[in-house]
Amino acid sequence: MRELRHAVAEWLLAMTMGGALCAPLIAKPYIPADDAQILAQLPAGARHADVTARRMAVDRLDVTVLLAQFYIEQARASGDLRYLGYAEAVLAPWVAKPTPVPAALVLQATVQQSRHEFAAALATLDRSLVARPNDAQAWLTRATVLRVLGRYREANSACAQFALRADAFLSMICQQSIEGLAGHLASAYGTLAAAPTEGLLNPERAWRESELGEMAVRLGRDAEAESCFKRAIVLNARDFYVRAAYADLLLRQLRYREVLALLDGQQSIEPLLLRLAIAQKQLNDPNFAHSRELLQAAFAAEAQRGEAVHRREEARFLLEVEDRPRDALAVAIANWAVQREPDDALVLVAAAYAAGDPKAADPALEFARAQGLRDVRLDGAAAARS
Amino acid sequence: MKRPAAIHRWWLPVLALCVGAAMSAQAHVASNSFLTMRIESASVEGSVELAVRDAEIAVGLDSNHDGQVSWGEVRAAQAALLVYLRQHLQLAGADGGCALRFGELQINARVDGNYLWQAFTAQCPSPLEQLSIDYRLLDAEDPSHRGLLTLIARGSTQSAVLGGAKQNQRFDLGHPSPWNAFAEYFEVGVWHIWSGIDHLLFLLSLLLPAVLVRRTQRWQAVPRAAPAIINILKVVTAFTLAHSITLSLAAFDIIRLPSRLTESVIAASIIVGALNNVFPLVTEARWRIAFAFGLLHGFGFAAVLSDMGLPRGARLISLVAFNLGVEAGQLAVVLAIMPVVYALRASRLYQRALMPWGSTAIASLALVWFVQRAIG
Repeated sequence: MRELRHAVAEWLLAMTMGGALCAPLIAKPYIPADDAQILAQLPAGARHADVTARRMAVDRLDVTVLLAQFYIEQARASGDLRYLGYAEAVLAPWVAKPTPVPAALVLQATVQQSRHEFAAALATLDRSLVARPNDAQAWLTRATVLRVLGRYREANSACAQFALRADAFLSMICQQSIEGLAGHLASAYGTLAAAPTEGLLNPERAWRESELGEMAVRLGRDAEAESCFKRAIVLNARDFYVRAAYADLLLRQLRYREVLALLDGQQSIEPLLLRLAIAQKQLNDPNFAHSRELLQAAFAAEAQRGEAVHRREEARFLLEVEDRPRDALAVAIANWAVQREPDDALVLVAAAYAAGDPKAADPALEFARAQGLRDVRLDGAAAARS
Repeated sequence: MKRPAAIHRWWLPVLALCVGAAMSAQAHVASNSFLTMRIESASVEGSVELAVRDAEIAVGLDSNHDGQVSWGEVRAAQAALLVYLRQHLQLAGADGGCALRFGELQINARVDGNYLWQAFTAQCPSPLEQLSIDYRLLDAEDPSHRGLLTLIARGSTQSAVLGGAKQNQRFDLGHPSPWNAFAEYFEVGVWHIWSGIDHLLFLLSLLLPAVLVRRTQRWQAVPRAAPAIINILKVVTAFTLAHSITLSLAAFDIIRLPSRLTESVIAASIIVGALNNVFPLVTEARWRIAFAFGLLHGFGFAAVLSDMGLPRGARLISLVAFNLGVEAGQLAVVLAIMPVVYALRASRLYQRALMPWGSTAIASLALVWFVQRAIG
């Protein structure tokens, strides 16, 4: 008995001392006591030696393109924005040349698009397409950027240009995905779902499944959407857009534990960390505080840099994690000025109603009306108002 | 935080736990460094924090190529890191570049991973009214890298983003209007008298007997307030007058004394003042001691000013403000202590204990300072 009491006392003391010890350790600079303490893990392509190697390849366009593609792929898979900087660095000498180098310009536009610098991305693509109008990849990237901006008619003609120069099936995904936003959701979903898929490569299948899943969500067919998302994740486990869309579906259905399972180990990707934090908050999960702190730090740094990469996420964070609807609305309005995907409309509408300022939702609702954008989630939010 | 001394065994798991918490699950933010700079006249106190990953890109830390960076590897690369910092971070005032001196390298655990935390001091040629910062960290390796700066000057804080297209930026630190300069130097004066306890102890040792008179080898309480007040006024005025004279002479570079000499003599002055209460030699005209040693204390104050520098165009007003600040701080202490001392003056406690033993304690403390300053 005495031993037990002793152990409990020691444990309590340890917790108290540990708390006192942890606080300065995390908050203040310190000198590590042990030379063997590991301070950082270095991911692929992020070592000094890689940088030195890539300097040696500075006048080789083929190597530059491979390196930039590698970095962009790493950024996509890991959500690590530093890779976009590395890609930009290897592309820089080629982008700066007075005569356009289309291969470098298209990749540069992809970097800009990933940073949500849409106007710059379009300008870069224009430069590239003037030099090489037959570049299918440039047309596809252009369609993607215009789609995010809500400029569906222009996106559609970019898809048409892509179709002239590319595989028929990919062209169909490009076109139907935009048709599905611009007034023809049901027919686009039917067409894409019915199209034969023999002979498709896995990345192409994954793209199809994720587009189908997003359409099914907007149609309100959550069960179908879920199977599409699941198949897309199996085909391409590193696609965090699909994972985020699937997590949103689970969140809407209050399936928080499944969100934790889906996003386990994906905390480094900010949009996924946001979904994780929302679920953790609902479950009173002990890791919630840490996720919240990570997100706060990330948004604070982004705000100081004056960038808008994750504004949609920030608006949702303020709305669903911080319970600050007025601040969320301000961010959602700023976000809507930059990008107009269905999710951007949704967060604007939700924030406007939560903040008690329903008129602020009008730009998104009017946009949806004018474009014929159909989304049961928007209908649900609008119905909640009336 | 310095190295924890002995770590008992039951701390270890807890320690490991919180190190783990700081290491795990790092959200990917863009590459940012964090800089803090605090302007004090001609010098900049600051720190720069660079993510371990970014430092690896810049100078290469992972010397054993195992894909991870250890503290030992960081320490081994510190020289290279400082060279890199000198080449990529430069500060300048209107009169030219500032000399950077780096402090000890430390680690800061931020939520998105570990950062190298490097303190620095920059000494600029003249008091800063504007600061140019040339920031090129990682400019070749990661053009999206930025330095997030917090700049503190004249009581106001501004933040800015360094790097990218704006490699060289100039910050207006707010023109030191006469009023700004006055307020800043007044505050420094007050602060100095409160933190510089040696000046106060000297004054106190001269004031403790001000409520007493020496009759037939014994202390007696003054019967009325008037003589006590006159005593206090004489001492304070003499001290003020004396240190103002030498402070001005030193501030305008007319006379200079080595700081070791003035600091030692200041300590000696406290010993003399305090011992005079225990073994009274000068009982009636203590203001003479106040004046004589006050001249030396003035050189001590001047050392503070010469560290800070006086702003061009507002030299005189800053000097006056600093001096007034010193007087105000000194007066506040006198007003707080002397009424109590006056009330206690007739008690045995004061006459037999507080006065002699308090003075002895002051003298002993000053003796320690004297030895430290004269030898150290």
